[in-house]
Amino acid sequence: MNHSMGRSIRRILLAASLPVYALLYAPLALIAIFSFAPAPAASGHGLYWYAELIRAPEVIAAFRRSIMLAIGSSLLGTVLGTMMGFGLYRFRDRQAKGWLAALPSLIIYTPIIMPSLVFGISELIFFNFLHQATGLLAAGLLTMGIAHVTFQAPYVALVVFARLSGLDANLFEAAQDLYADGWRSFVHLTLPIVRPALIGGCLLAFTLSIDDFTISYFTAGPGSTTLPIYIYSAVARKGVSPDINALATLMISAVIGVGLLQYAFTRNRARRMLARTGG
Amino acid sequence: MIPADAISERPGAGRPAAPRQAAAPRHGSIVLDRVTRIFPGRITAVDGVSLSIEPGEFFTLLGPSGCGKTTLLRMIAGFETPDAGHVVISGRAMDGMPPHKRPVNTVFQSYALFPHLTVAKNIDFGLRMRGLPKAERRRRVEAMMALLQIGDLADRNPTQLSGGQRQRVALARALVNESEVVLLDEPLSALDAKLRAELQIELLRMQKRLGMTFVFVTHDQHEALVMSDRIAVMDRGRLRQVGPVADVYEKPRDVFVAEFLGLSNIFPVTSIAGGCLDTPVGRLALAAAPGNAGHAMIRPEKIRLDSAGPDMATPHGPNQFAGIVREAIYMGASSQYRVEVNGGQLVVLDTNVSARDRSWQAGEPVRVSIDPANIVLVGQ
Amino acid sequence: MSEAVFPVDPRAGMAARAEAFGRRMRLWITAGPGLAWIILFLIIPSAVLLAIGFFSIGTYGNPQLPLTVEPFREVAGYSILGWSPGNLIVIFRSLLQAVLAAALTIALAYPLVFFIIARPPAARPLLLLLVILPSWTNQVVRTYAWMELLGPDSGLAHAAQSAGLLAPHLGLFPGVLAMQIGLVYNYLPYMVVPLYAAAERLDWSMVEAGRDLYASGVRLFRHTVFPQTLPGLLSGIILVAIPAFGDYVVPTLLGGGKSMMIGSLIASQFLETPNWPYGAALTIFMLVFTCAGLIAFRVLSRRPGGTEESMM
Repeated sequence: MNHSMGRSIRRILLAASLPVYALLYAPLALIAIFSFAPAPAASGHGLYWYAELIRAPEVIAAFRRSIMLAIGSSLLGTVLGTMMGFGLYRFRDRQAKGWLAALPSLIIYTPIIMPSLVFGISELIFFNFLHQATGLLAAGLLTMGIAHVTFQAPYVALVVFARLSGLDANLFEAAQDLYADGWRSFVHLTLPIVRPALIGGCLLAFTLSIDDFTISYFTAGPGSTTLPIYIYSAVARKGVSPDINALATLMISAVIGVGLLQYAFTRNRARRMLARTGG
Repeated sequence: MIPADAISERPGAGRPAAPRQAAAPRHGSIVLDRVTRIFPGRITAVDGVSLSIEPGEFFTLLGPSGCGKTTLLRMIAGFETPDAGHVVISGRAMDGMPPHKRPVNTVFQSYALFPHLTVAKNIDFGLRMRGLPKAERRRRVEAMMALLQIGDLADRNPTQLSGGQRQRVALARALVNESEVVLLDEPLSALDAKLRAELQIELLRMQKRLGMTFVFVTHDQHEALVMSDRIAVMDRGRLRQVGPVADVYEKPRDVFVAEFLGLSNIFPVTSIAGGCLDTPVGRLALAAAPGNAGHAMIRPEKIRLDSAGPDMATPHGPNQFAGIVREAIYMGASSQYRVEVNGGQLVVLDTNVSARDRSWQAGEPVRVSIDPANIVLVGQ
Repeated sequence: MSEAVFPVDPRAGMAARAEAFGRRMRLWITAGPGLAWIILFLIIPSAVLLAIGFFSIGTYGNPQLPLTVEPFREVAGYSILGWSPGNLIVIFRSLLQAVLAAALTIALAYPLVFFIIARPPAARPLLLLLVILPSWTNQVVRTYAWMELLGPDSGLAHAAQSAGLLAPHLGLFPGVLAMQIGLVYNYLPYMVVPLYAAAERLDWSMVEAGRDLYASGVRLFRHTVFPQTLPGLLSGIILVAIPAFGDYVVPTLLGGGKSMMIGSLIASQFLETPNWPYGAALTIFMLVFTCAGLIAFRVLSRRPGGTEESMM
């Protein structure tokens, strides 16, 4: 297939693609470069703004809040999502008629396809009314957490459902055939098989939460600033500034680092598996 | 259920001539009493099937796709519940009993091997669920792996195995539990022809050696012929005929069974006159009274072909016709011919090519002889 | 058949029915909590939002009775001061930006995808990952990066200033150009991934056949390669155009007050000068527009080429 393409075409493609790669990383690289800008008091060393970052209480607080929110919401989101994934899988075999059968899938897909803006505003209004009516759920980390769980659960459900769907339908019957009742079948068959999907789903939920801005922004309250919100507010107020550059660089490096690590890890695992099965 | 330490090596059960009356519960017997299963949408998958299977028998459910044989098997296993009728295993009614409590193990068509366990752990699963001690489990698993010659696969993962290997693992996983009854749902259908033929013989030997009751489902009539003690032919949810293999083959009760099991020449009976039948190939003399049979059937291997000599006009016996070979197919161990007789067609199977030292080409005239005893009268 | 009576447990029938009931219950118990959560915390709030579009505006911008269609008239541009085209301009601009973003990402994605495909299979995952990696960074950070790049003090802005395209001390952002760049940057991976998935499954024997029949160059591409990438292309268009249409971050950070898109317009009705019914009406409008676009798209792509089923 590679020889289907003439050499000149490949050169053209290379010439067209390199600028795109460059353009993809140039802005990020630029931020990194500018983050080493000298301090105003000309103390000289390039890591000034990073040091400032570590000392800035709002930044640390925002970071901690992001992490706590992500951990809390992804736990609940994974539990609810996994249960839904199972429900979806069992629902497949049911002889439910027409629209009633499609309803659960529809409900599960709604958070995924709804634009973040509409999602965020809906939550804003809802929590606002709720708070006015009952005094509960003032805008804050809790409302953000609830919103996060709402968009995490469907993704987890889909991951778990996809794993389950790929299984031989007879597997569960085989377990029963081999003297495992419902509970033992779950513990010895279902759980071990679904575990990688569970872990993957949980990581996905965590990532979705940490990364989210729009929905968090609309459900946040005073004192529940997460990292993305902090950056947004700072940028919207004073525009480009070196301390934001430092923070942004850290975040970018973290993401790229994790991404490359994951790539290396999966490639290594694939290579090891290939060596094991060998002949 | 047979106690875990019961000796599993019983002498083969042989081929019973007719089903016996169920008196005292016998381990490994199955009785189906008017079992019916209707799926939502009013699809009748199994319609009032009654059967009796002997302990230690190799019993085959044979029929085309959709005839209900798999559904019937699943009702014995407990994966489906009958809408009417009862399933009785070893004298105990299985009404309401879930699969994990039944003295039955299943080999699935797709093998259904647990992907997260090694081969050894797969085989070990049932024993582990029953709570057998570790040493005992290891002994049994190793013995079974040796029996099926998969000992060197013990630590492999099922995804790394070939079709034939997976089939053996699935078999081992079922047999190691030494249940009274083993159900096999088209276990060889995913294998290539040669492997299939090998495993057929191996399965048969295994069954005779271990003495468990095998209930085998297939749509392949050749497979059924090779392996079974008794066959039940099913069509569209109903039992057509049950009996020892030879009986069902030689004396099919209706057209469906005759056509499904092996090749056949079937003719509608146009008229009956003085102990003879009028058929599209000519007038056939019968050995017995015709009764009110609707069709006559002759197995292709029972038709004899001879050279059409100069004395063609003089018959050498009853049912002799002049025919012309229209098609000759050489199949190695036998030859198959399509012979035109009196405007009708006959399929003839000649299995003694070497003895006769004669084979025919298309267009050659032949003498066709049919022994009246080989004409079977068949109902609907 | 044998007429012997078998000992049947009279409670067996009940046990079977209890088992079936238990199975159905377990079904609802597993999926129930999640579904209930989504209904309570998203479906109902969204319904409330849509309903508000039919309310009148209260003193603090909150909705109150009586019900009215006034908010929708506001969407069309009517206010106490009469009709102004402002809204329609915003809507039109959003549409344009979304379509343009889709077009630009297509133009960029095709060479990129085929560049990756042309490489040995071992190198492809890494090259693809490199395209996707920037999209893993936070949306705000990504958009901020372009603020940096297009600001009044940046090199690009200086170049434009000296070329006379830009007034001095102004940056390339805020503005329509900056928004477009931001949209393309944010959504390029969403076009690359489906296109790559389609291109990877390409049947190259078709290309050989085309060459065999004397096609070459552009024609070869158009007739043998392009049709096969169509499903991926269509997925990509939906994944880019729809979110771009309703994006909030890009227009707010890079667009500024003078070049709003529908996303920033809607948000300002809830965050700045509250006018909830109006904001809700705008949201309804945006959703309707999006759905209509989706449906029109599916209808158009239901060509005899049979790309419909292969979409999504």
